[in-house]
Amino acid sequence: MNLHIADYLIIIIYFLFVIGVGFIIKRRIKTSNDFLTSGRNIPLWITSLAFISANLGAQEVLGMVASGAKYGIMTVHFYWVGAIFAMVFLGVFMMPFYYGSKARSVPEFLKLRFDEKTRGLNAISFAVMTIFSSGISLFALAKLLEVILHWDFEVSIWLAASIVMIYTFLGGLTSAVYNEVLQFFLIVLGLSPLVIVALHDAGGWSNIKTLLQPQLTHAWRYMGNAESNPMGINFMSLIFGLGFVMSFGYWCTDFLVVQRAMMAKNMNAAQRTPIIAAIPKMFMPLIVVLPGVIAIALLQPAMASKGFSIPSDGKGGLDYTMTLPSLISHYYPTGLLGVGITALIASFMSGMAGNVTAFNSVFTFDIYQSYFVKNKSDRHYLIVGKAVTVAGILLSIVTAYIAKGFNNINDFLQLVFSFVNGPLFATFLLGMFWKRTTGHGAFFGLLAGTIAATLTHGLTLAEGKGGWIYPLYEIHSGMGQAFIVASVSWIVNFCTTIIVSLFTKPKPEAELTGLVYSLTVKPSYHQDKWYLRVVPISLILIAITIILNIIFF
Amino acid sequence: MYKKLNNLGFVIGIFFILISLVLIIGGLVSDALANKLNFYTGFSFLVFGVLMSFLNRKDDKDVQV
Repeated sequence: MNLHIADYLIIIIYFLFVIGVGFIIKRRIKTSNDFLTSGRNIPLWITSLAFISANLGAQEVLGMVASGAKYGIMTVHFYWVGAIFAMVFLGVFMMPFYYGSKARSVPEFLKLRFDEKTRGLNAISFAVMTIFSSGISLFALAKLLEVILHWDFEVSIWLAASIVMIYTFLGGLTSAVYNEVLQFFLIVLGLSPLVIVALHDAGGWSNIKTLLQPQLTHAWRYMGNAESNPMGINFMSLIFGLGFVMSFGYWCTDFLVVQRAMMAKNMNAAQRTPIIAAIPKMFMPLIVVLPGVIAIALLQPAMASKGFSIPSDGKGGLDYTMTLPSLISHYYPTGLLGVGITALIASFMSGMAGNVTAFNSVFTFDIYQSYFVKNKSDRHYLIVGKAVTVAGILLSIVTAYIAKGFNNINDFLQLVFSFVNGPLFATFLLGMFWKRTTGHGAFFGLLAGTIAATLTHGLTLAEGKGGWIYPLYEIHSGMGQAFIVASVSWIVNFCTTIIVSLFTKPKPEAELTGLVYSLTVKPSYHQDKWYLRVVPISLILIAITIILNIIFF
Repeated sequence: MYKKLNNLGFVIGIFFILISLVLIIGGLVSDALANKLNFYTGFSFLVFGVLMSFLNRKDDKDVQV
C-alpha cells in the first residue's frame, strides 16, 4: 500500500485538528476537576458519542472485522447480546448511583459504598490495566503501520504518543472526549464508503448468503450445539457468559466508559448517555462486522475474478487481523485511502487517549490523593494530574516496547484483564441492590472471583491455551473458554460476597442513602416528554434489538 | 469565528469540509485522485460538514467560554 501526497495531507489535517482541539480546550482548564472530570458540563450528544467512541478503539475496529471474517454474522452477538442490554441497564438502574453519589470515579464509588480497601484494590488493578491497554494500542498501531505502509516502528510509536500527549496534556478529559467524538465521525464516515462499495461488489447481501455456509450468515440458528457453529459455543454460554457476565462487567463497571456518562450536565443526561449511545452502537455491526463477512464472501471461488485477498498467517490460515486493511487497500483509491488510514489511526489514538485520561483520574484521585498526599490545594492536584498524564503516556510507550519484545504478552494481559474484570459486576450488583452487602464481603468476593478465574483457566484447555495447572477439561474454542472463565469467577464472587457479608457487620442505613437501590429516591421524569424519559427510550431500544436478532436469526 | 471554535459541532464540520475539498479539488486537478468514489465521498463529507458546522446547538452554547 503506497500513499500519495493527498493521503498524507488528510493525515496531517487530522493531526492538526486533534492538537488544535487541545489548544481550544486548554483555556477552559482552571481546576483539577476541569482537567480530570470535565466539571460535569458536557452536552448529552457529546457524552453519548464519547461513550461508544471510548470503546471504538483499534482492537474493536480491527478485531470485530476480523471476527466477522472468522465467525461470520455471529459476531453481532457482541453488540445485540453483549452491549445494548448492559448499556440500557447502566442508564436505567446504575447511573443514579454513580452520578447521584457525586463520586469522581468508579473506585471512589466503591469507597463510598464499601470501604477503602475495596476502592484500593479496584483502583490499582484498573490503573495497571489502563496503562497496559494504552501501550498495547500503541504497539498495535505502530505494528500495523509498519506492515501496511512500511513506516518505521519507532517513528510511529513516538509520533502517535506525542500527539495524544499534547492534546490530553492541554485539555485533559474534555480534550480527549472532544477528539473521541471527532474520531467517531471519522471512523464511521471514513469506513462507510468501504462497506457500500464492497457490498455492491459482492453482489449484495442476498448473493453473500448464497456464497457462504449458512453458519456464517445466521446469528442464532446454529447455536444449539457448540460443535455446529464457527464460534464453538452454545447459546447458554453465550447468553450467560457474554450477555450477562462479560457484557455487564464491562459496560456497567469499567470506569473508562462510565466516566463519559459521569461528565453529563445533570442526572437525566447522565442516565440517557449510555441509552442514546446504544442507538449508534446497535448499528455499528454495519461498519465493523459486515465488512468481515463481505471479505470472506469475496474469497469464495465464485468471486475469484474480484482479485481480493487476505494475507496468510504463516500457519496455513488467514491473518484475519489484516481483513480491514486488505479491504481498504483493495477498494480505496488515492485520497480516500488517506481517509481510511486516518480512520484506523484515529481508532488507535482514541483507544489510547481514553485509557490515559481514565488512568490519570483514577491515579490522581484514588491513589495519589487517597494514599499519598491528602489535603493539598486544588492547583497541586491539577499539576499532579498533568504530570500523571505525561507519565501515563511514557509508561504506555514502555509497554509498547515490552509488547514488541514478547509475542504472547497481549494474550497474557488480556487474560489477566478478564480475571480482574470478570467478577466485578457481581460486587456492584450486590452492592447496589442488597443493603446487607459489606465491605469485607465485597473485597474477599473480588479476590475469590479472581482466584477462581485463574484456576478455571489453569484447569481448562482450548485451542492450545490454558490448562497450565492440569488440562482437566477441554473446551471447543478460546472464546468459549473466556466465557466460562468469566462465568465461574462471577458466580464465585457472588456467592463469596453473600457468605462473607452475612458474617460481617454492614454499614448503617444512614450511610447508604443514595448508594443502594432500596434506600434511594428514584429520579422521576414524568413531567418530561416521552422521548426525553429514560424508560420509554430503553423499551424501544430493547424491542429493536430483539427484532434485529430475529431478522438475522 | 474564534468563538465558534468552542463549538465542537463547528470544528467537526470544518474538518469534514476540509477533507471533502481535498477529495473534490484533488480529483479535479490530479489524475491520481480522479475517481468516482472520491467525488461521491467528497460531496457526502461536504454536506455532512456544512450541516455540522451550521446546525444550531443550544447545548454547545451553554458550555462556551
